[in-house]
Amino acid sequence: NMFFVMLVIFPMSIVVCVQLALHVFGDLLDSIIVDVASECHRIARLGLERKLDEEEEELRLSAQARARIADPSNNVEANGKYVVDIFGQTHPPVANEIFDCMNCGRSIMAGRFAPHLEKCMGKGRKARLKATRSSTAAQNRYSRGSPVSTYSPYSSTASINRLSNGNPRVATGECSNGTVEEP
Amino acid sequence: MSTKPLFHKTNKSLPGKFRRASIKRPPTPDAEEEQDREPTLQEIINIKLIESGEKEKLKELLRERLIECGWRDEMKTLCRAFTRKKGRENVTVDDLVHVITPKGRASVPDSVKAELLQRIRAFLQTAAL
Repeated sequence: NMFFVMLVIFPMSIVVCVQLALHVFGDLLDSIIVDVASECHRIARLGLERKLDEEEEELRLSAQARARIADPSNNVEANGKYVVDIFGQTHPPVANEIFDCMNCGRSIMAGRFAPHLEKCMGKGRKARLKATRSSTAAQNRYSRGSPVSTYSPYSSTASINRLSNGNPRVATGECSNGTVEEP
Repeated sequence: MSTKPLFHKTNKSLPGKFRRASIKRPPTPDAEEEQDREPTLQEIINIKLIESGEKEKLKELLRERLIECGWRDEMKTLCRAFTRKKGRENVTVDDLVHVITPKGRASVPDSVKAELLQRIRAFLQTAAL
């Protein structure tokens, strides 16, 4: 037994002291081992391992992207179709996704949606004026002489104004309080 | 050392350093055999450690050092490997404790161990011995 071996070399008090210290250390270490085991158990049972891996992957990708920006050899200047973004992707100058206009139902190219909507909602409104609830509000706005020929009491008003000013913002018929946030 | 157990009503009859112990509990009502024997030196030291808050500080210090040196990551890797083998749903805390205890105890860096032992012995010197 170590105890007796040490006793031969060192006085009792030191031996006891060292023994006690080792015992305390062992206690602390065991306690920390339980903590680690408990945490790993939690991660395992909650399936957090996947999430951690995904987060790690995200961090790695964003670090990569940042590195790509910093790299001077990348072509950053606008060059028609060859502008490269931080993920190394290129995008066409006109957005070419196609979807259905929620007003008239036609298939529209995203980059051409704003001008389409100008015509689409402008013409449509003439027919819809009679059916609107607050026709007084429509007449009020109409008489104020806005650049657009017809009005609707709903938000399209504000949005149409902006559309005709060349703002690429898309407006839907859904906002009903007549306000659109400034970009 | 007095023959009376430390956990008795008053400690006025105890010599010098042991009087400062603040435990004045009456003996617990359940009749366990362990109540009859005197607390070991280890138990006394443990109580002093906890009461003074030193145990918590020591644990924090050890935890910090073990994280710094990568010990914790090693243990977590072991746990992950075991979990993959046994299956996420079947793992118990006990399993993991048994998995990492042998390697865990053996792989504490000497410098960390020495630092902690040094502090513990310093505490022992001021506290009791």
